[in-house]
Amino acid sequence: MEIIKNKTNIDFIGKRKVALFFSTALNVAILVGIAVAGFNWGIDFVGGTVVELQFKPSATKVDAETVRRRAESSGLHDVSVQGIGSPDEQSFLVRLGGTTQLTKETAEAADAALKNLGSDVKVLSPDLDNGILNFRSPRKLELDAVKAAVGGTMGVKEVREVGEVAGQFEYQVVASGMAEKITEAMSVNGGQDFEVRRTEYVGPQVGKQLRNKGVGSLLYAILAILVYVAFRFDFKFAPGAVMAMLHDAIMVAGYYLVSRREFNLTSIAALLTVIGYSVNDTIVIYDRIREEMVKYKGKPLPEIINIAVNDTLSRTILTSGVTALSLGGLLIFGVGEIWDFSMAMLVGIIVGTYSSVYIASPLTIWLDEREAAKAKGHAAPAQQERTA
Amino acid sequence: MDRSWGWKVTMVVGVTLASLWLLVPTYCSFQMPREQRNDLKALQGSLPGWAPDAKYRLNLGLDLQGGIHMVMRVDTRTALQKRTDRRGMTMVNYLKEQKVGGEVKYASDPDKLQVTLTVPEAGQAEAVKNEVEKNFGDFSYVSTNGNAVVFALREGSVSQFRTDALDQALLTIRKRIDKWGVAEADIRKQGADSIVISLPGRSDPEKAKELVGTTAQLEFRMVDDTVAFFDDVYKAVPPTAESGIELVTDDGFPQLQAKDRQVLLDYVKASGKVPADREVLLECREGAKKGTCDFYRTYYVEKTVPLTGDSLAGADASIGQYNEAEVNFTFDAQGGRDFADLTEKNTGKRMAIVLDGVVNSAPRINEKIPNGRGRITMGRRAGKTNDELLGEAQTLSLVLKAGALPAPVTTGEIRQVGASLGDELIKKGALAAIVGLALVILFMGLYYKGAGVIADVALVLNGLLILAFLAILNATLTLPGIAGFVLTLGIAVDANVLINERIREELRAGKSARVAVDQGYDRAFWTIFDAHVTTLIAGIILFFAGTGPVRGFATTLIIGIISSLFTSIVVTRVITTYTVHGRNAQTVSV
Repeated sequence: MEIIKNKTNIDFIGKRKVALFFSTALNVAILVGIAVAGFNWGIDFVGGTVVELQFKPSATKVDAETVRRRAESSGLHDVSVQGIGSPDEQSFLVRLGGTTQLTKETAEAADAALKNLGSDVKVLSPDLDNGILNFRSPRKLELDAVKAAVGGTMGVKEVREVGEVAGQFEYQVVASGMAEKITEAMSVNGGQDFEVRRTEYVGPQVGKQLRNKGVGSLLYAILAILVYVAFRFDFKFAPGAVMAMLHDAIMVAGYYLVSRREFNLTSIAALLTVIGYSVNDTIVIYDRIREEMVKYKGKPLPEIINIAVNDTLSRTILTSGVTALSLGGLLIFGVGEIWDFSMAMLVGIIVGTYSSVYIASPLTIWLDEREAAKAKGHAAPAQQERTA
Repeated sequence: MDRSWGWKVTMVVGVTLASLWLLVPTYCSFQMPREQRNDLKALQGSLPGWAPDAKYRLNLGLDLQGGIHMVMRVDTRTALQKRTDRRGMTMVNYLKEQKVGGEVKYASDPDKLQVTLTVPEAGQAEAVKNEVEKNFGDFSYVSTNGNAVVFALREGSVSQFRTDALDQALLTIRKRIDKWGVAEADIRKQGADSIVISLPGRSDPEKAKELVGTTAQLEFRMVDDTVAFFDDVYKAVPPTAESGIELVTDDGFPQLQAKDRQVLLDYVKASGKVPADREVLLECREGAKKGTCDFYRTYYVEKTVPLTGDSLAGADASIGQYNEAEVNFTFDAQGGRDFADLTEKNTGKRMAIVLDGVVNSAPRINEKIPNGRGRITMGRRAGKTNDELLGEAQTLSLVLKAGALPAPVTTGEIRQVGASLGDELIKKGALAAIVGLALVILFMGLYYKGAGVIADVALVLNGLLILAFLAILNATLTLPGIAGFVLTLGIAVDANVLINERIREELRAGKSARVAVDQGYDRAFWTIFDAHVTTLIAGIILFFAGTGPVRGFATTLIIGIISSLFTSIVVTRVITTYTVHGRNAQTVSV
């Protein structure tokens, strides 16, 4: 069996500038997005809320899967459900990142909702840690109306009137905790067939120090790869491999950014795996380029790269396809964190395959052209002037 | 045919058998019911005699198999009450020293965390108020009522104390758990006064409670140096060479030293020389890896415990007046008196500081220590820089503080928990992974026919090898580890795809089966090598620089890359060479 019967001759490199532009724009957008909106950090990094639920005895036994399904159907994808005690107890620890329902996003939504009450309502910066949103209005507002308006965006514990300052009425909206969000999601038709035994805040497992250490180790790894590629291939190749790797990591981070899935320890594992995959793929293509360079001495680099990419095309499709195939099972049957992991991996495989051709190779071409121009410049500076 | 073919086949078969053999304990442990899975003794019993030791098995982490969930409550309230009372006493002593207010008496209110100082004459209340306010910043003045001046512990220092107490308790508990070698334990703060501990795979709640729940036992015991005990033992029955027991002298005192704790204890016990009122304790010399012991040393100590850590009030590390690193510790009133007595009676002897039954150090008592303050100087050991010694002093002061937990810790609850990723997630994930792997194997067989089946064999062997290595290392497998595993399997598949595509290319170019196979392997070799080495470098750096999940990932990645290099290049080549060269075939199935 063969996927590609005849030798292909697709001009991959010809479209490199469009691809490079597109990728750079997307990468920048993701980085800006991360800086502005941030990840939906999981409980492992920022701590969160843990609620212990015990379901009342009933004809059908409630298991972890039922609990998870209830959460999912209410839009809570990132809960972790952990059985506690013996299965007969029907007790579960349900964890969710964050402590209050006031987040950057809900604060913005609430801001918009409050503006509907009057365009002169001014929202002050939200206190995310304590879940308090302060706002001012030149007119007196009905507390119930405020509650109804903000209630559409998040759970509201209460609305307080703080007082009057210089003709401005100050109000505070206190957001409900994440625990209420969990119990709300668990209720079926408004009824609770469980008892909340405990609600508590838990600290993060990975503190800031550990997080920085992880990022640091990644940078060292990138540096070492740079050195090895420069040593085994040519310095021209090294920056491309690293940029491709960064590109893939950013793209996968983009998946977490856009999907708003929780960024937790599993995400770290996915990122590391994608980086490993990306490096492997890039090196394989590089190796072929190196070989073809010896074979077709004198041919311009873009042409050689095209030949190399075409020659390895069936291998590329096969390897990526086979790896994606192994993820297929996880994507169909997996749920929660495992599904997230598989999805991030799938994104990584696609961009990893793409980046070897469109990120790593163009950078090598560019460095090669610069080198050639410099050599020419040294040999005949007058000629360069003319061309310039 | 290649002459080296014979030993290559032997090696491949040998490696396969060895990895299967190494996986026997792991296999048996997964055959056991879940509750018993982590009971090493039960596992050892169920193992056949020829199998490796039960400790060489693969553990699953907290995220994959769950474990014990414990909530420890730190009783900061009681600690605060004690502290308020202690501070009241200090105030009185201070005022006496400064000769302010005459015969001042104190009383503390445990509910309000207040101290009431009573002066003999109402006129002196103002002076006392000023003096206390100036020197006891953690208290604020409340009111004066005739002869009584009331001070309250400041809100700020209350919350500071609470946080400190919780942090310190967390540190103590973490240290202990690390000491028992429970890998990948998850320890976090919960709420304002609790610590949650999750221990992977421990299924005996009582045992876990015993391990975590008992407060550290700090003891001060006298070392008996009147006899050269270990010298006698060593000379009476010299230990066998393989026991690794040596006789060394430290600071002029003979000691026995060995790498294995149990061997050392058994040897001393077998000598039959330890009298009823003496005991042999070990000191653990910490190795490069935290929480592990490079070797152990013996101490011959009296069985009576004259003083325990319950009487300790605090400890601090500092650089002393002779520019030597030292640890200062203070006892409470009664402890101070006992300590003075003890040091007076035993001047010149060594006193062993024993934490949880292990000797931490045994400094010599130079003189009577009258004021309830002790000092351990670290300056006597040669070959260490001042910084290292200060580091040691800090560790020691931590140990001493750990002995005296800032607040009583009680076990709130202990329960069995399922996998933190969710049990049903694991079950589904495992099924999905197997389905995925089966699809890959099936596809490779269909696509590359004979060569695909060979690649499949290599892939399965690669998986076995990785697991076997992890089992020898007694590693704990967590989800990031599995991610590393998946990555290496992907890279291994890639290697075989590269080889087979090369062979096809050579065949297309009109080469014979034998030449095509040889050249295909030769040409693919450097590609595979470079790709593997680059990934390996990344893995090694992640391992050394990373922590926690990053490390787990790196461990499986490093092992996986090495075994993938072996299986995809050596193993498949041996089999392919056999099918082509060995049988003198004219075609190759690829």
